[in-house]
Amino acid sequence: MTETVAPPRPPIGLTLRSLVRADTTVMLRSRQALILNFILPIVILVTTNRGKLGNTGFLIGMAITYGLLSSALIGYSITVARDREAGVFQRLRVTPTPTWAIMASRLGVQLVTSLVVGIVVLVVGSIMHDTYYTPGEYLLLLAVAVLGGAVFLSIGQALVGLVKSATAINAIGRVLFILLILVGILGSTGILGDDFKNIAAWTPVGALINLFSGVLSLSTWGATETGALLVCFGYIVVFAVIGIRWFRWEPQ
Amino acid sequence: MEVARVSDAEGPLILEVQDLVARYGAQTAVDGLSFSIRRGEIFGLLGPNGAGKTTTLSVIEGLRKPDGGRVTVDGADTERSALSVKAKLGVQLQASSFQSELTIEQLARLYSGLYGLNLQRRQLRERLADAGLAQEAAKPFKKLSGGQQQRFSLMVATIHDPPILLLDEPTSGLDPQSRRQLWDRIEGSRRRGGSILLTTHSMEEAQAVCDRVAIIDRGRLQALGAPNELVAMHREDPRVLAVSRGDVTLEDVFIGLTGSAIRD
Ligand SMILES: Nc1ncnc2c1ncn2[C@@H]1O[C@H](COP(=O)(O)OP(=O)(O)OP(=O)(O)O)[C@@H](O)[C@H]1O
Ligand SMILES: [Mg+2]
Repeated sequence: MTETVAPPRPPIGLTLRSLVRADTTVMLRSRQALILNFILPIVILVTTNRGKLGNTGFLIGMAITYGLLSSALIGYSITVARDREAGVFQRLRVTPTPTWAIMASRLGVQLVTSLVVGIVVLVVGSIMHDTYYTPGEYLLLLAVAVLGGAVFLSIGQALVGLVKSATAINAIGRVLFILLILVGILGSTGILGDDFKNIAAWTPVGALINLFSGVLSLSTWGATETGALLVCFGYIVVFAVIGIRWFRWEPQ
Repeated sequence: MEVARVSDAEGPLILEVQDLVARYGAQTAVDGLSFSIRRGEIFGLLGPNGAGKTTTLSVIEGLRKPDGGRVTVDGADTERSALSVKAKLGVQLQASSFQSELTIEQLARLYSGLYGLNLQRRQLRERLADAGLAQEAAKPFKKLSGGQQQRFSLMVATIHDPPILLLDEPTSGLDPQSRRQLWDRIEGSRRRGGSILLTTHSMEEAQAVCDRVAIIDRGRLQALGAPNELVAMHREDPRVLAVSRGDVTLEDVFIGLTGSAIRD
């Protein structure tokens, strides 16, 4: 079907299709960001190939978490901040497009990216570490990856909601990245003592790593894992509310 | 202040701005502005830098909420019927940007979709060729020359053949050929019954293309009417005579009414 005369209100299906197509193209064209999403996790998997650091589930979980942080938290917040500053949103907002559709398309494309990061890292990881997962385990691990993507996206949304300048978001995003990784990973190894370990388990990265290990040994699923699942949903709700409530489309 | 209003709009109105107020913090950028545009009319919004032209347009475009007054497009309130009003507007912003990762062909596809048009590749190419951008189809917006960027923005603004076009300094940076072509397009759109609201700093251009102009300063209307009427009306005004060198022109009226100091 070819519409050549503009309707009084564009059909929402066509609007969403157009936005998703454009956002996907933008994502695929951002080579550097794409490479970063995959390179760190794969480096982790390769370098730990022969080591004795932790179990395989933990390592693969950590690698996926790295990839999710880089794509969902850093990638998302930086592109939103940059587009807001450059006036890309301004141009989109003078079209008859509901603002929720502009955001939904970006978030949707990011969630699919999280899934792809999960699949690639899982496949590479299980080859590098000679591990076999059942299809059920694959699905559960990917579900945790998408959940993790959603957690980091909502943190990214809160970041662009509370901070206006793209330069500041870039800097804060990187610090957050390192902090989240350090607390989550150092904590869960127990190097810094049990108290710290207990606290770390409730941070976004700590909770995700517990979930990644948890879905690989469902027989020992317990209060820690259930708590981790709940806390992830809690993070999504709280940060998404902050991020949407304070989000401004204009740069100033 | 008394405003010279020599002719009011006749015929069906497409745009009505009533007592519009817009503020940035403590600063009032638009201060009780009213004017209206009828179908098929080309209307120029003139004023020195910082007069409030872009701010007025951004309220009409739905980018800002008015702090007072109201705007209606084809009878519909811009706040209450935001999306259906936006579907009727063709917009060229003074400063806007497009996703830098997309080629202009991909951008043309995106924006035609957002206006509800499902154009085939061939049709998109035709539109680009029509804007003189056939060779640039695979380039991102940022890699176009300034004038090509203007032409692309205009192409996007008119992609859905809107009943009213809002153009913020559309001819700045255009070469004489492209400017003439733009005027021709404006003329053509008028013949098809479309209306245009444009801003410009060229009084020559305003005189050549606009049916009526509004001169605003500090967010307030100073004069409104057909360019020739405004000149005739202010021929004897001492403020205008003081700045005129010979025959009184629209530029003399503009400077006379808005002062010769440079605006910050
Ligand atoms: N985002 C903003 N924040 C604060 N003040 C603003 C903002 N945008 C415009 N202003 C102020 O509002 C006033 C009107 O600005 P506006 O952009 O509407 O002027 P203009 O008539 O379009 O000028 P120009 O001819 O230079 O484009 C100016 O004094 C400007 O400094
Ligand atoms: Mg302006």
